Formats: sequence, structure tokens, C-alpha cells
Amino acid sequence: MNNYYLNKEQDSEKTESLKEAFGKMVPILAEEKKGIITSITTVILNSGLTLVGPLLIGYVIDTFIQQGNMKGVLTFSGILLAVYAAAFIANYVQMRVMGAVAQRTLWRLRNDVFSKLMELPLAFFNQNKSGDLISRINNDTDKLNQFFSEGLMRFVGSLFIVLGSGIFILFINWKLALAALIPAAVTFAFTWIVSPTVKKRTRASLKATGTLTADAQESMTNFKVILAFNRRDYFAEKFAEVNEKNYKAAIHAGVGNEIFTPIFEWASNLGLLIVLGYGIFLISNGAIAIGVLVSFVMYVTRFYDPLREMARMWSTFQTALAAWDRVGEILHLKSNLEVIESSEKKEGKGVIAFEKVFFSYPDGDTVLKDANFIFEKGKTYALVGPTGGGKTTTASLIARLYDPTSGTVFLDGKDIRSYAPEVRSQKIGFILQEPFLFSGTVRENIVYGNSFYDGDKMRDLEKDLKDSGLSDLLVRFDEGLETKVGNYSSLSLGQRQLIAFIRAVLRKPEILILDEATANIDTVTEKLLEAVLEKLPKETARVIIAHRLNTIENADGIFFVNSGEVTEAGSMEHAVEMLLHHKRTS
Amino acid sequence: MPSIISVLKPYKAFVAALVILAALVNGLSLIIPKLISIGIDDHGAGTLDLQTLLIQFLVVSFIIFILTYFQGLFQVYTSERVARDMRNTLARKISNLSFQQLEQEKSTKLLTYLTSDIDAIKMFVSMAVVTVVSSSVVVIGAAILLFVINWKLALAVLAILPIIGILFFVVFSRLGPLFKETQEIIDKLNLIISESVLGSALVRVFNSGQHEYKKFSIVNTLSKENGLKILKYFSIIVPSIGIIANLASLVILALGGYFVIGGNMTLGDFTAFQSYVFILIFPIIMLGFVSSMISQAQASYNRISELLNSPEEKEVGTIDTPILGDIEFKNVSLMYGEKPALEDASFSVKAGTKTAILGPTAAGKTQLLYLLIGLIKPTTGEILIDGKPLKDYSKKAIHSQIALVFQDSVMFNLSLMENIAFSRDAKQEDIQKAIETAELADFVDTLPNGLETIASERGTSLSGGQKQRIMLARALALNPQVLLLDDFTARVDSATEKKILANIEKNYPGITIVSVTQKVRSVKHFEKIILLMEGEILAQGTHDELADTSAEYAQILESQKSTHTYE
Repeated sequence: MNNYYLNKEQDSEKTESLKEAFGKMVPILAEEKKGIITSITTVILNSGLTLVGPLLIGYVIDTFIQQGNMKGVLTFSGILLAVYAAAFIANYVQMRVMGAVAQRTLWRLRNDVFSKLMELPLAFFNQNKSGDLISRINNDTDKLNQFFSEGLMRFVGSLFIVLGSGIFILFINWKLALAALIPAAVTFAFTWIVSPTVKKRTRASLKATGTLTADAQESMTNFKVILAFNRRDYFAEKFAEVNEKNYKAAIHAGVGNEIFTPIFEWASNLGLLIVLGYGIFLISNGAIAIGVLVSFVMYVTRFYDPLREMARMWSTFQTALAAWDRVGEILHLKSNLEVIESSEKKEGKGVIAFEKVFFSYPDGDTVLKDANFIFEKGKTYALVGPTGGGKTTTASLIARLYDPTSGTVFLDGKDIRSYAPEVRSQKIGFILQEPFLFSGTVRENIVYGNSFYDGDKMRDLEKDLKDSGLSDLLVRFDEGLETKVGNYSSLSLGQRQLIAFIRAVLRKPEILILDEATANIDTVTEKLLEAVLEKLPKETARVIIAHRLNTIENADGIFFVNSGEVTEAGSMEHAVEMLLHHKRTS
Repeated sequence: MPSIISVLKPYKAFVAALVILAALVNGLSLIIPKLISIGIDDHGAGTLDLQTLLIQFLVVSFIIFILTYFQGLFQVYTSERVARDMRNTLARKISNLSFQQLEQEKSTKLLTYLTSDIDAIKMFVSMAVVTVVSSSVVVIGAAILLFVINWKLALAVLAILPIIGILFFVVFSRLGPLFKETQEIIDKLNLIISESVLGSALVRVFNSGQHEYKKFSIVNTLSKENGLKILKYFSIIVPSIGIIANLASLVILALGGYFVIGGNMTLGDFTAFQSYVFILIFPIIMLGFVSSMISQAQASYNRISELLNSPEEKEVGTIDTPILGDIEFKNVSLMYGEKPALEDASFSVKAGTKTAILGPTAAGKTQLLYLLIGLIKPTTGEILIDGKPLKDYSKKAIHSQIALVFQDSVMFNLSLMENIAFSRDAKQEDIQKAIETAELADFVDTLPNGLETIASERGTSLSGGQKQRIMLARALALNPQVLLLDDFTARVDSATEKKILANIEKNYPGITIVSVTQKVRSVKHFEKIILLMEGEILAQGTHDELADTSAEYAQILESQKSTHTYE
């Protein structure tokens, strides 16, 4: 069985180049080409216009103000006004378009992750906590959204201004420009070196947030025990512990992330310092005019300001990369329950057959050892045995929640792995030991996942319930079909089991497995359930797992499951004998 | 609703430090253009001392570097601290809610409070506070300098501030409700993800992944639409502030140019003026960005405050003497809205006796046990322990002497040992006795790590019966006077059940047992059997009495008759 655990320790200090990092973002945005092109165009336009501003101002100072030409000043003020208006429009379009791109990308990403979750097998959920998954779907994707909606285009725009003003000052005076750019070059090198560490710390911080979410969720689901055992402090204390870890991880990441802005700030000031010193030196030599220095100061500011902005975005980018890693981990997983090529149908395999089936969980416990048996259509089978003996695992293999470690499970004579999931799930009804309800009404829950009652057919529901004898069970609910239920509501376990029972029977499966499905239902109501089971179509096979012997006494075959071995009992007495005198191994 | 600013109250010192740092950084930053302007003007006048100027420049820029980093660290530190403390406050509040309050608040909603809502507040503290402070410092500082250089020009430039004020007002009034909706949508997403994960086995059995995906996608689409609505406002506000700031620099060019030409202003002053306006523009644009952050934080803070201000369950009981175990229900009714879960229930249980509660599904049996340990309170009527009202006992006294084994298995992500010794009142010697009584010793021996084995989140590696026995051991570890069993035997095979019941009798002599059960056979010899149906007590007495007098009891007996020969 695969290992689906997501929060493995990071393998080694894997660093990635900037190209790789940006490359990772490409597939996410692939479907938004049009929006991104529009955004980039407007961003470049906007940056260009932003550059034109000081250029015009410098020109006005040098030509008109110094010569006292007020008319020229006013004319150019008019031109500048037009430039600013154009920048306003470009800015608006860019924000609107890119914001929409980010929202759609977030939407698509969340859908993709959720859809992947639905594809993955049960083993994945046994190994990962729901809180951590919630954190990945909501929190981590939102970090990507933040980068896309605010960071990316500001980054691109800033980059453009940086390049533009860099080239521009090189043209004005390359010596002065090169000198002014030295601090920037040093800072780039610095960023290059520290980024992998920063990303690693950010990732650790996101992981801590996932743990915090998982922990809080677990405690809140278990609250009644916390109250009954007077451990109100437990939740607060346990939470404070993960909260503290989360806090430390966040600070740790912050110490790294916060270095970028001051470094770039400093570089900016050093750039100005160089320009001033070197510029005055050049003026003294008569190499440049004073106006050149004035506009140079402005352009160097224009060069370094967006660089500072890029530094800020750089931390958002590192966070987005770390978040994308966590989201990507889910997206890259594959279900290990693939559908294989259909094989020849074998005769004499009944409706379900196990052939040399072995099964073990990833932690190494062997649960089934060489299980061989055949279930025939229309018959009732009972699986009995001590708790932890392997009964639920056997049932799970029949429903293909897992695949055997070795050996084959046959459904209707064909390898169960060759059936498409929708066909298989139609044939096999499995009432789980822990009944699960979704928030909603009894009605919504009993037709859950039952495409037969989509749309108009819903009208027949009440009649169908009556015909199959299920409507008598609904008197246990105050408002019948419309009773509100939810996994956290105060329905008793027995009531939840009733809903799970009705839900499974309504699907008319060919094989119905009841895994202690009526354990908490009173024996009088249980008689009603037995009557319902009697009414099932003749061909339906029933597999019953129970401790209460009255529910299995009419079985056509009884199998004793203990320590991973499945043995057929000759008779009811034989089964009881084995049950009462089994050697406890679990 | 309290303002989001009140979040900062306990952190006055931090905020003060942040304000000072931000003020220093920004104040010092204002010196840089001044130094440049001095350089240019002095050079023009031929009075420049370049070396001194460069040293001043270097020193100032280095101090700015250090202070900026400190400011950044402080920002992280303060915001994470606020977030951490507020999470802890929320967690404490949640753990002091009553059972009923917790059932009303969905756990996924509480989860959103603890994560997403706190994050919005954290963003506010980390970004908004500093931005507002440093922007104000810059705006005020630059404004003063502008006034010093040329008050007329300054006045013209600063006319933009009220316009920006109006824009912000619009943002707050329109975006607030949208941000509230954002958080409510996250609640819903959390619920769907959570249910589809907890119900993952069912989803796979029914192959209903597609159905779940549709449910998720609908809410996800709502989230997108809401995001786009927010974007609509946001993408107007930010460019608007940009153009207003640009207009200010245009005013300087035209008006300033006029002054320079008229000889009322030097060129150096004019250059400085231009630089100061550039310095002014950036923080104003940043204010545009943080205005939405503030509005979002306020929406989240409103949600959290609502929970924080909800009434808490107060400890009123004071009796903490040991109890004997006499229980009496006097005309107890329990209403869920209009409908009664229990109606006028009266019965008594003598200390040291065994009582069984039988009845169909949804008869109110579980509620009766919840009432007995004070998880829920009766709507009318009274519950007496040793003749004294239950509510007069301290919680500790009740929860350490009356133990309930819940119907469904609840396992914590702790070791088996910690799961069993969950109550602080469990003593070491009692724990060993509890493990043996619950027939867990053999099972524990098969585990490589024994009692130190971690029970995973949903206890997936343990079977139903094993979990139930761990639940029993958890209750017995209290060495309780009264043991309440909620359908305990449902998941345990009869051989084990027999052993466990015998163990209890042997190891806990004199214990009072109230057992909700389906199996008549295992409670036949109990001193009292109470028959409960639809919230009403139909009959009570010994097995023989009920078998003779109660038709309903006879019916239950009949339904279980056939297997007696085997069990």
C-alpha cells in the first residue's frame, strides 16, 4: 500500500533556481494567458508612463523654469495631466484584470485540489488529518492568491521600471550609472543566496499552521469527552502548545523574510550617495551639467523605489512558492486504486470470492492471511469473531476501499479491480461501522449519492420507502424526512445508524454489507430492519458483521474471522463454540 | 461592536515602540533628499564640504538600514504575538462554553475564527498599523517641510488629503459587509472539506466524489464572485489615490515653476519640493492598500467579538465532598425547542445498585445520561445526588466521581496511556486496574510500543471494540462511584462482555451502575430496569416485575428470545 502521508520531513536541502521557481508558477496560470497578457501590457504601459513623468518634469525644469518660460511650463503641465490620466486608466485595467485572473486561479486551484482529494483512496485519509487538508485548501491557496492578485503584477511592473530606468540612466551617463548600480548588484547576489533559506522557513511556518488547524479541529470534535472528564483546560492547553509552535515558526520565517526590504532600502540610499559624490566630482570636472545630476538623482530614486517594492514582493513570492509546494504535494499524488483491463469472467466464483488474499496496513500489521471464500448470490453470510480480528478489513476489501497486498478479490467472477468505480459502487452497498451524516435533512442524507432520485424522481421517494418497508423507521425522527441532521447535531448513534441503513438499502445493491450497522439500534426496531432485509430482491447477497447472535442465526454461511484467518463454521453451534472459546489474540 | 483598534490595547508598549521606530525611519528618510539638496545648492555656491556630507549621508543611511530591519522584526513580532494571544483567548473561551453552545456553533466555524479570522487581524497589526503610523509621520513631516519651504505651495498640495479621506470612507462602508461575507464563505468551505474528509469512507463506498465536488465548487464559486465584487471597489480606489497624488506633483510643477520664475523660490528648494512630494505619494498609495485590510480585519474582529462576548458557563456548585451514589430524578423534563426529549421523568437509583435503561432508538436514553453528568441541564425538574441538587456540586466533584462511557468512540491524538488517563483525577494504581478490568492488557501486549502507542486522529488503526474498551478504561481510571454506560456492549463480543462485567463486579465493589443497553439478557439480574419510550418512562421495576406487567417490555423480550440459547 502506498504511503500517502503528506507531512514528511523535507528531504535534504533541495534548492531551486529562480527559473525553476518561476517555472512552477507557469502551469497554474496557463489558462489565463489572455488576462495575463493584458495585465502585462497595461503594467508596462503604466510603468512607461510613470517613467515619462519625471523625464518631463526634468525637461521642464531644465528648459522652461530655468529660462523663465511660464507658457512652456503650462503646456507641459497639460501634457503631464494627459499622461497621468492615461496611467490612471492603465492602472485600473491592470488591477481589475489581474485581480480577476487571481480570483479565477484561486477558484481553479481550490477546485483542483478538492477534486484530487475526491479521487484519492481511503488510505490517504487514514494518514492525513482533515485540519491539515483544510489548511492546504483554504490557507495555502490563499497565499498564492495574494501573490497573484497583488504581488505578481507589481513585481512585473517594478521590474519593468527598474530595467527601464536602469537602461535610461546608462544612456544619460554610463559612468555615473554603473557606479549608481553597484549596490543593486550586490543586493541581487545577497537575495540569491538567502532566498532558499527563507522559503524553507516559510514552509515550516505554513506546516505549523496546518498542524494548528488539525489539532484544533480534533479537539473540538471531541468536546463532549473533554467536558465529561473535566478537562476544559485540555483544549486550551493543548492548543496553546501548537499555537506557541506556530508562533515560533512564524517569527523564525519573519526574521528571514524581513531582511529584504531594509537591504534594498540601504542599497537605494548607497546608490544615491554614490551618485551625489561621483556626480559632484563630475560637475567639478565639467563633465556634466547640474541639471543632469538633478534628473539623475530622480532616476536613481526611480530605479531603487521599485526595487524596494520588488523586495517586498519577494517575500510574498517566497511565501507563495512554499504554499504552492504544499498544495502541489496533494496534486501530484495518484490514486493506487486504478482500474485495470477487464479479464475473462471466471465461473464458480459466486458474487464475491477471495482467492489467497493477504492484506497489511502501511504500518506493517498483517490483517488478513491467505483468506479464501466464495459468497453466492441471494444468500446471507455472517462474519463473526473477536474485535480487531479482521472483519471490517474483509468488508473493506469487498467494497474495494483498499486493494489486497496480494491475491485477488472477484466480483461476479471478474477481478474487482477491472470495474469502473461507478459500476462497482452500484453493485456493492456497505453500511459502515461509524455512520456518517452530512449537514442537511434526513431526506438529503438518505438519497445521498443516489442519482436515481435526481430531479423528478424525488416524488417517488416516499412511495419507494413505503414499498420497501423503510417508512416505518422514519417515525423515529420528529419531523420525518425533513428533520435536520448533521454530524455534530444531537442525533443518537442509533438514529444515525437508521439513516445509514435506509440510505444503503435505497440504492438496491447486489451485495449489502452491514458492519455492525445496527449495533446501537434497539432489538424491537431491529426486527423492522430484518423485515426490510427479507424484502430485498431474491438475488441480493447479504454480508452481516455482528456481535449479537440473533442477527446472524438465519445466515446461510457463517465465517469466523480471527487473527487474520477466515474459517467457515459448520453450523451456528460451531460458530458459537469458536466465539466462546477462541484464544484471544487481539 | 468594538473597533479593531481596541485589539492593540494590551500591546501599548509594542505599538509605541513600533510607532517610534516607524517615525524614526521615516523621519531619517526625509533627511536624505535634504542632504542631496544641500549638496547641489552648496556646490553651486562653492561652499560644499563633500567629505562631511558623504559621511553624514553614510551614517544616516546605515542607521536607517538598522532601524528598518528592527521595524520589520518588530512588526512580525507584534503581529504574531497579537495573533497568538488572541488565539489563546479564543481557545480559552471555547473551552468554557457549555455543551449546548458548542452544539450550536459548528466546530468548523470555530475553526475559521481560530485561523482565517485571526489571520485578517494579524495582517492588520503587521501591515496596517505601521503603514498608517509611518504614512502619517511622512505626510506630517513632509507637510511641515513643505510649509517651511513654501507655505503657499504646501497648502495647494495638501488640498488632496480631504479627497483621500472621502475615498477611504467609501471603502469602509462598502467593503465591510463584503468582507463579512468572505469569512462566512470560508466557514462553509471548511464545513464541506471537513465533512468530505471525515466521511471519506462513505464517499468512496458510494462513489459520490463528483457530488461532493459539485457542492464544493458551488461555494467556491460564491467565493470567487464575492472576491470579484471586492475587486471592483479596490481597483477603483487604488488608481484614484495614485492619480490624486500625481495631480499634486503637477500642481507643484506649474505653481512651483511659477514661483521659481518669479524669483520667490530657489531651484534647490524646488527640487527638494519635488522629492518630498514623491516621498509623500508612496505612503498615500499604501494607505489605499491598507484601507481594505483594516476593513477586513474589522469584519473578522466583529465575528470574534460576538463569540468572546457570549455568556460563559459559570461554576456555581460548591459541594465537593465524596458522594455515595444515590441518584434521584424529580419530574425532569428536557425540551429541544418545542419538542420534549424527556418528559416528566422521575425515578431513583440507590447507591451500589445496578440500573438498566431500555427503550427504542431516540427514546431519550442518551440525554438522560448527559443530564446526569451535567453536560446538559433539565428544562424543568430536579436531579439529586445523595439528596442534594446536582447543580450544587462542583464540576470537579461530579466529573471525578461520575464517569460516562460514551456510545461513540472518541480518541485523542495521544498515546493510549494518555487517552486512558485523560482525567487529571486518574491515579496511577487506578489506571492499571482500569486496563485490566476493560480486558485491554492482552491487546496492549501485542502492540510493539504498548501503552505508548499513539492513537491516530480518528483511531483508524483500532477496531470498534478496542476503542470502546479504551473508552471504558478511561472512565474506570477515575475509580468512579457511579459508572454510566451508554450502550457499551454494542461493539464488544459477548465473550469479552461477560468477562468485563465480571471484572467490574470484582474490582469495583459497591459501584453504582446506570447502563443504557439493548440486551435484556445482560441486565436481567439488575436491581432496576427502566423502560423509556419517546421521552417518557413507561415502566420501572425488576426484570420479573416488568415481564409480568409491561406489554412493551414483553415485546422487547420476545424480540431477543431466540438467541438466548446461544448466548
